[in-house]
Amino acid sequence: MVDHASAVAHAHDPNIGTTGLDNRKVGMWAFLGSDCMFFGSLIGTYLAYKGKSISGPLPHQVFDIPLTSYSAALLLASSLTMVLALAALQESRVKKAAGWLFVTAMLGLHFVLNQVYEFTTFALHHGLKLSTSLFGSTFFVLTGFHGAHVTGGVIWLLILVMLALRGKIDARDYTKVEIAGLYWHFVDIVWIAIFTVIYLIP
Amino acid sequence: MATQAAFMHGSKAETETFWGTVWSWLTTVDHKRIGILYGTSAFIFFLVGGIEALIMRLQLARPDNTLVGPERFNELFTMHGTTMIFLAVMPLSAAFFNYMIPLMIGARDVAFPRLNALSYWIFLSGALFLNSSWLFGMAPDGGWFGYANLTTTQFSPRHTIDFWMLGLQILGLSSMLAGFNFLVTIINMRAPGMTLMRMPVFVWMSFVTQFLIVLAFPAITVALILLMFDRFFGTLFYEPAAGGDPLLWQHLFWIFGHPEVYILILPAMGIVSEVLPTFARKPLFGAPVVIYSGIMIGFFGFGVWSHHMFSVGMGPVADAAFSISTMLIAVPTGVKILNWIGTLWGGSIRFKAPLYFSLGFIAMFTMGGLSGVMHASPPVDLQQTDSYFVVAHFHYVLFGGSIFGLFSGIYYWWPKITGKMLDDTLGRWHFWTMLIGFNMTFFPMHYLGLIGMPRRIYTYAPDLGWNHWNLISTIGSFLIGVSLLFFIVNVFRTRRSGAVAGNDPWDARTLEWSIPSPPPVYNFARIPQVHDRDDFWLQKYGDGHGGAPRPKPAPVTAAEIAAIHMPDTSFWPLLLALALAVMVSGLMISMVQVVIGGLLTLWLMYKFAMELHRPAAGHGH
Amino acid sequence: MADHHAVASAPHGGGGGHATVRTYINVAIALAIITAVEVATLYIPGIPSTVLVLSLLAMSAIKFFLVVGFFMHLKYDHPVMRALFVGPLIIAIAIILAVMALFSAFVLLPRVVL
Repeated sequence: MVDHASAVAHAHDPNIGTTGLDNRKVGMWAFLGSDCMFFGSLIGTYLAYKGKSISGPLPHQVFDIPLTSYSAALLLASSLTMVLALAALQESRVKKAAGWLFVTAMLGLHFVLNQVYEFTTFALHHGLKLSTSLFGSTFFVLTGFHGAHVTGGVIWLLILVMLALRGKIDARDYTKVEIAGLYWHFVDIVWIAIFTVIYLIP
Repeated sequence: MATQAAFMHGSKAETETFWGTVWSWLTTVDHKRIGILYGTSAFIFFLVGGIEALIMRLQLARPDNTLVGPERFNELFTMHGTTMIFLAVMPLSAAFFNYMIPLMIGARDVAFPRLNALSYWIFLSGALFLNSSWLFGMAPDGGWFGYANLTTTQFSPRHTIDFWMLGLQILGLSSMLAGFNFLVTIINMRAPGMTLMRMPVFVWMSFVTQFLIVLAFPAITVALILLMFDRFFGTLFYEPAAGGDPLLWQHLFWIFGHPEVYILILPAMGIVSEVLPTFARKPLFGAPVVIYSGIMIGFFGFGVWSHHMFSVGMGPVADAAFSISTMLIAVPTGVKILNWIGTLWGGSIRFKAPLYFSLGFIAMFTMGGLSGVMHASPPVDLQQTDSYFVVAHFHYVLFGGSIFGLFSGIYYWWPKITGKMLDDTLGRWHFWTMLIGFNMTFFPMHYLGLIGMPRRIYTYAPDLGWNHWNLISTIGSFLIGVSLLFFIVNVFRTRRSGAVAGNDPWDARTLEWSIPSPPPVYNFARIPQVHDRDDFWLQKYGDGHGGAPRPKPAPVTAAEIAAIHMPDTSFWPLLLALALAVMVSGLMISMVQVVIGGLLTLWLMYKFAMELHRPAAGHGH
Repeated sequence: MADHHAVASAPHGGGGGHATVRTYINVAIALAIITAVEVATLYIPGIPSTVLVLSLLAMSAIKFFLVVGFFMHLKYDHPVMRALFVGPLIIAIAIILAVMALFSAFVLLPRVVL
């Protein structure tokens, strides 16, 4: 009857499977694996077309490495604040967790605004648009989809902050915040790859 | 647990009226009902795709025919391919994933029941969106693999390609959501004691299929996004004049497209691996080898895509590499065929309709596999590519393989799903007419291809020697149509006066046969404890080596049943799928609609997520 | 994948919680330093482009796995999670390399356009 008892015990939380793992977390990792293929295809496209534009401007003429490095640092910092939020939530310090989540969202927002500034500069000062050259097409679509991922993450984090401030999230909801964190860190590691492969490698 | 019979509340009272019944189906999150929805929709689209095929066969029945013109013919073969792959075979497989996976692993539902409903409604909206193109006279006409740069605005200025591209995007989203759901279900929801190697082979093949879905679909998603940007926002991805390379589309498409082939065939292989042991009354011969072969196929499936592109001239190194990997992937496939035959060897075989279809699967799929290995050699492929030989090949694997396998599953599990037995005599009529019709239709195409008939032509001159084989092919295709009438008649007769099935009509081996037919809403009154592969069989007969049958578990008490909590119905999945359709179709109408649909989608995602956040008091927990 | 994961008695969440705030801060400092070195490498005059590319890729990979291993807890988490992520990652990288090879893009990598 031990088995029966454990089955009933699991019925308390419908999210916990018979392996003892949380469905939502397993699902999030499966999604991130799939998203690797998504960004893999986009990065593959960028690299396949690298250097094949037949008209300028060329990457090294438009890239602002200091600005992009600053953006990269923002995302890395936001990954740290994300884990700090989780650590605070684990100790049931909900207000502190909400604070760190808010900082994370603001760092993400800053990143997005930097990107908007970067795109605008490319378009207005360098004449590089989606339809200018293969470089324009591949660059804007790849980094744009990353930016869209960040934007989605910012919205998700702000909703979590709102719920936490309204007292609707506490230590029992650790997994909900954790999977948002997994998504957020994933967006960060995609940027680590893009930063090196697209911006730094000449 | 203050949830006495909570799993029934809300639906009992509503189902008494007609609109109550409709509402309960629109809001259901029960994997069994969603499975039935998938199966019914897919069968209807299977008939639609079949009618498209019959019109094409009528057009090709004799030379210089004028039944349809070249433009209409382009639409017909494009929609036939797209419909059969994305709207018939994939969702028919999904019907079995939905209905059978939880039952076979001893679970009460999938991991995310509402997400499951969302997958179905997104699938249906995508399918209707794609087919609505007929109403606007803008059916897609770029072939099912829509090669660039035929699909760019320069060569396809109307909305035809938009319908195709956006429809596929919606369908891909549905497949991926379902893929995540089943991955988590199989990893995390197996009954206690059901280790991975004790899992039924159908579940294993489904497991591999889900990996292929979630990893292959992102590639076509990206390919379609690039196409969408080319068409709507002026990017240059497939624009040779700007240095773009139409081959990029071919690569991205086939990085998806080849795994897709295995997405279509692996579920059928899983069904056959369940049917053969049941009707041979023997365990599956070398079951672990069948499983490992499935994993190998899934893995190698990502490394062979360029064999669809030998004729574009990729150079000797790429040709050789993809040729070798293609020949390699034939090995695990051949191993499986050997295992299925080994399962039949020495068994006490009962010839029933499900077995007929499985045997048909093995024979036809082997023939399709053999012509497939021929294409692995680039010089041979150059002779055959874009000819009717290729058409014959992929119909032998996708019709002779997938469709025969899926019908085997339909006849096998029908009693479990409906509680009534399909008539076996009509089933055999269905099988024999379909087998003969199938071979009449597609076998001559091998010959037609080798004597030079190209794919996709809408008519041909009378002096090419193609006339009578084309006529035979057309007659065969109508025989397939007749065979489906036998099936449809069978379904309606069974509904009216079919024999009652009982729990275990086939004397089968897996868990789903241990519960009533049709299963109660909670599937298992008590989650089973699993000790072996074919655990249910061992409970009935012991291990066949003198060991006593395993003791049956104690009867289930009313209190246990009362304590079961099933998820409530939800209307958010349906609304979310609608909002998504509003957003996507807006791309062809106006950006305002895209923005409104997008905001609506975001809001509904929030409502969807919050529905189960902190359930209201008195709800149980 | 190992069979013993199916047993019902595994702890919820499958491990986790081994990393402390101290670890997180150390990882963040490491990430900051590596990023600074990455950017600085660009400004070293006369560095052979092959060396430059390989060292940038290596540093990027270290950052990648620091975030995945520590911030995303994959180092401490259940092997199922690792398989779900690392398997697809390998396929994705293999496909990027194959596509680059098919488009003859490798010759372009070490080229420094001035």
